[in-house]
Amino acid sequence: MLRDTLKTLLAAYGPTGSEHAVAEAIKSLLEGHVDSMRTDSLGNLIVEKFGSDEGGRRVMFSAHMDHIGLVVTHIEKEGFLRVSNLGGIGPAHVRGQKVVFENGTPGVVMLEPNTKGDGKQPTLEQLFVDIGAETREEAEKLVHIGDVAVYAPEFIALGKHRVAAPAMDDRCACALLVEMLLYAEDQKNTIIGVFSTQEEVGLRGATVAAFNLEPDIGLALDVTAWGDTPETKYPAVKLGQGPAVKIMDRSMIASPKVRDALFEAAEAAGVSVQREVLAFGGTDGGAIQQSRGGVPTGTLSIPCRYVHSAVETIDMRDMEGALKVLLQFIDRV
Amino acid sequence: MELRTLTDAFGPSGYENPVRTLIRQEAEKRCDDVSVDRMGNLICRKPGRDRSKPAVAVAAHMDEIGFIVVGHTDDGLLRFRPVGGIDPRVVVSKWVLIGNDRLPGVIGAPPIHLQERDDLGKVLPFSKLHIDIGAKDQKEAESLAPLGSYAVFDTPYMEYGDGFVAAKALDDRVGCFNLLKLLEEEYDCDLICVFVTQEEVGLRGSHTAAFSLDAEIAVVLEGTAANDLGDVEERFHVCTPGQGVAVSFMDRASIADRALFKTMLKLAREQGIPAQVKRGITGGNDAASFQRGGRGARVVVLSVPCRYIHSANNVAKWSDIRAQADLARAFLKSL
Amino acid sequence: MEMKAFLQEVTAKRGLPGDEGPVAQWVAERFGEYCDEVKIDAMHSVVGRIKGDGPRLAFLAHLDEVGLMVIKVEDDGSLRLGQVGGIDPRILPGMRLTVFGKETLPGIVGAKAPHLLSEEERGRAQKLEDMYVDLGLPAEKVKELVRVGDQVQLEHRFVELKNGRVAAKTLDDRCCVAILYRAMEHLKGLKHQADLYFIASSQEEVGGRGAMTSAYNAEPDMAMVLDVGFAHQPGCDRESTLDMGKPLITLGPYLNPVLTGKLEEVAGRIKVEVQKEVAPRGTGTDTDEVAASRSGVPCVLIGIPVKNMHTAVEVLDMNALEEAARLVAHFAAACEASWEEELWN
Repeated sequence: MLRDTLKTLLAAYGPTGSEHAVAEAIKSLLEGHVDSMRTDSLGNLIVEKFGSDEGGRRVMFSAHMDHIGLVVTHIEKEGFLRVSNLGGIGPAHVRGQKVVFENGTPGVVMLEPNTKGDGKQPTLEQLFVDIGAETREEAEKLVHIGDVAVYAPEFIALGKHRVAAPAMDDRCACALLVEMLLYAEDQKNTIIGVFSTQEEVGLRGATVAAFNLEPDIGLALDVTAWGDTPETKYPAVKLGQGPAVKIMDRSMIASPKVRDALFEAAEAAGVSVQREVLAFGGTDGGAIQQSRGGVPTGTLSIPCRYVHSAVETIDMRDMEGALKVLLQFIDRV
Repeated sequence: MELRTLTDAFGPSGYENPVRTLIRQEAEKRCDDVSVDRMGNLICRKPGRDRSKPAVAVAAHMDEIGFIVVGHTDDGLLRFRPVGGIDPRVVVSKWVLIGNDRLPGVIGAPPIHLQERDDLGKVLPFSKLHIDIGAKDQKEAESLAPLGSYAVFDTPYMEYGDGFVAAKALDDRVGCFNLLKLLEEEYDCDLICVFVTQEEVGLRGSHTAAFSLDAEIAVVLEGTAANDLGDVEERFHVCTPGQGVAVSFMDRASIADRALFKTMLKLAREQGIPAQVKRGITGGNDAASFQRGGRGARVVVLSVPCRYIHSANNVAKWSDIRAQADLARAFLKSL
Repeated sequence: MEMKAFLQEVTAKRGLPGDEGPVAQWVAERFGEYCDEVKIDAMHSVVGRIKGDGPRLAFLAHLDEVGLMVIKVEDDGSLRLGQVGGIDPRILPGMRLTVFGKETLPGIVGAKAPHLLSEEERGRAQKLEDMYVDLGLPAEKVKELVRVGDQVQLEHRFVELKNGRVAAKTLDDRCCVAILYRAMEHLKGLKHQADLYFIASSQEEVGGRGAMTSAYNAEPDMAMVLDVGFAHQPGCDRESTLDMGKPLITLGPYLNPVLTGKLEEVAGRIKVEVQKEVAPRGTGTDTDEVAASRSGVPCVLIGIPVKNMHTAVEVLDMNALEEAARLVAHFAAACEASWEEELWN
């Protein structure tokens, strides 16, 4: 079930650059249900489910496994960890949050007080992680420079349909892609499912995967921002109103024919979808579209509030809708 | 005469000649007593059938906001200033026609690439804006568009949307258009239709017109700001296109005669003419001159709600334009 | 078709980044008059080829235009806009735009009457988020016809000014597409050895995306990119701007000096007067992507000075266009296999 798959994937440790545990979790879910699985030089997990049609197209679906985190850059004499960002994570997101390292070491993140009182925005340099160590030596037994902390996994059900968790970006899309691969049958086109790496630092995994795989069509699955909470107006996307078909963002202007195929798929599936124009951000779609001689590419997004915080919130109805749209989409391009 | 002919005509304040010529030709077909005073106001007198009725002046202004050339650069660009109230923020990247030959020109802006981020938050003042007519140097620019040449927005008339019209100078060619319509009919009262000049530069035409008119009642036909869209709070909406002709109770320059104001609303209600009360009270118009010029007159203003007046595109709704004529006519007939 | 007529038509065509279909279709038809083969590729770039036995030489001018996009439909039926490419929002108040909804609709960008402005409002430029488009339609009708993501085009007028100067939107960079078209005409009367690719590239305004993929496919041995430069106008430094009337050649590390030398030789031989500018690093044109395509492509960059770039009243001098077209054609004709050897010597 979509919800169980999502829970499983959210629990896996997988900051940008160390996505292998997520890949393992996906593999065990897909084992025996697909035609091939392999991992490439950047750690992308590439899963294929062949199409029945000889002349069918090769459609690349991409969902990224990686997740923002804090990388340790220095350990203070007093045992506190100094950190830098891995992906788009800032003091406002992490102040007061619980984090965890790969070996299970927990920590809490705090900010130095602003002694100058100049009202300036806090910077990453003012952050530190407290793992309970009293000395550098004690800390070094648990954590090393270069280790990465991520938000401690959590799964919070909010109301009837909504769930909040860190790493919802983009594990919810990974869960969708897993489910799509499980449900798809007798499709004419070949599905190439790419669970990509290093999206948060510049679409690095997908760039390599798209170049190597030379797909005919691309579709990225990712979360998008929201415009339905106090003082947030754009994008004009709301939770629970259906998945969003991307028109454009900073990385890509969706290819009209893929975009339109998504609208048709939604109509056929009886799922209402939203239209998304984002003035910022990007997805693996940009990397796929501009690969080699160009690949017609689109993005299907799950509306997600509070992206890059520890409480990224989505609506499961959007997830269910997205799965239906995807299954209809496969053979429409 | 079509509204298009009037809005496309060239007539900035102080050089209304082309507009006056057009209107005069039309007015002379409908009225035997047409004259022009020394301010350029066109005055059409139509005696009534019943000499006991009060004489009524109905006025609209012919002039439009525009530009005037105040200098030339080495590069052959024209320096200019506004004639009438123009927000410099609406002239960037627009088209204009200059002088008697109606030379086409464009108002440019430095490319976004060569600007600092802070610059984008600044208003480009008239002193930094130029009209480009393609002249190679100062000499050529001076000969093509000498000092004092007038320019107006070049905005072809367009009908669009749900019965809307977009054009330059709807303020106040809609009034001129309806005033000509009023001349088509006979009334019991004496009717004096006044097409005035120089409204946009300080109600100057109406000032002299009022002096010689000797009317007991003056009705001013205007195009007025609507201000009903965007982030404007509802309490600041002046009037709403589509809800009929706007009747003013006051503005910053005159207070409507209370009885006339009530009569207008009553007539509209009785005859099913769409009308609304104009809520905003900023600005002023020729009613001030007629109220206080010469022997003075009881005044009231009937306006067509116009979006974006004093920009390249004024927008008004045809149903409101018709309502203005209908209400003015109903008033004249009611006397 | 005469070049000015070409320019007048091509600047009107719809072709915002990512959806260059209509302008691509039209340009492909025009290129077809002279090319041996023409196709529109996966990214909407138009690629015309005039075959030759020599090295593959590509010419690139971009097809797309800066514009706007609907990001929200308000309850009162007015539209909020986002940018596609860099537009200075200060050009918009009072402008007529074209909204490509389910139907093509004219819309006007609202502007408050000066009487109603507060002192505070007068003093600051409006931001795009404060502006709105008025379609003159009831809100229900707007919601039926217009959706988030619909494209919005700047007002198009083609105005002929004095001295062969013209004003229109999207002279950046369709004037260079016009140059390619005119150069093809010149090439009918010239002999050439090179295998010529004429690429009208897509998505330049959002980062050279079309040029990158088209260059990958065409695999040129050498390339010339054509784009607009900044003509002198008030508000800009003399140092960072150029004169109207003459094409320009850009110099800098992204450009191949030997190939640029060849270009200057050709210009000297056929007496095309040029001016020069330097791009110390990136050129901000398709060159940046093309030069780094596959294992690298030696590039030259020429341009046309334009005033008021990225507004609806970009201004250029037709003479510069004519001269650039001659230069392109003769450069194409001069290109031969031996050049490749010389480039790195």
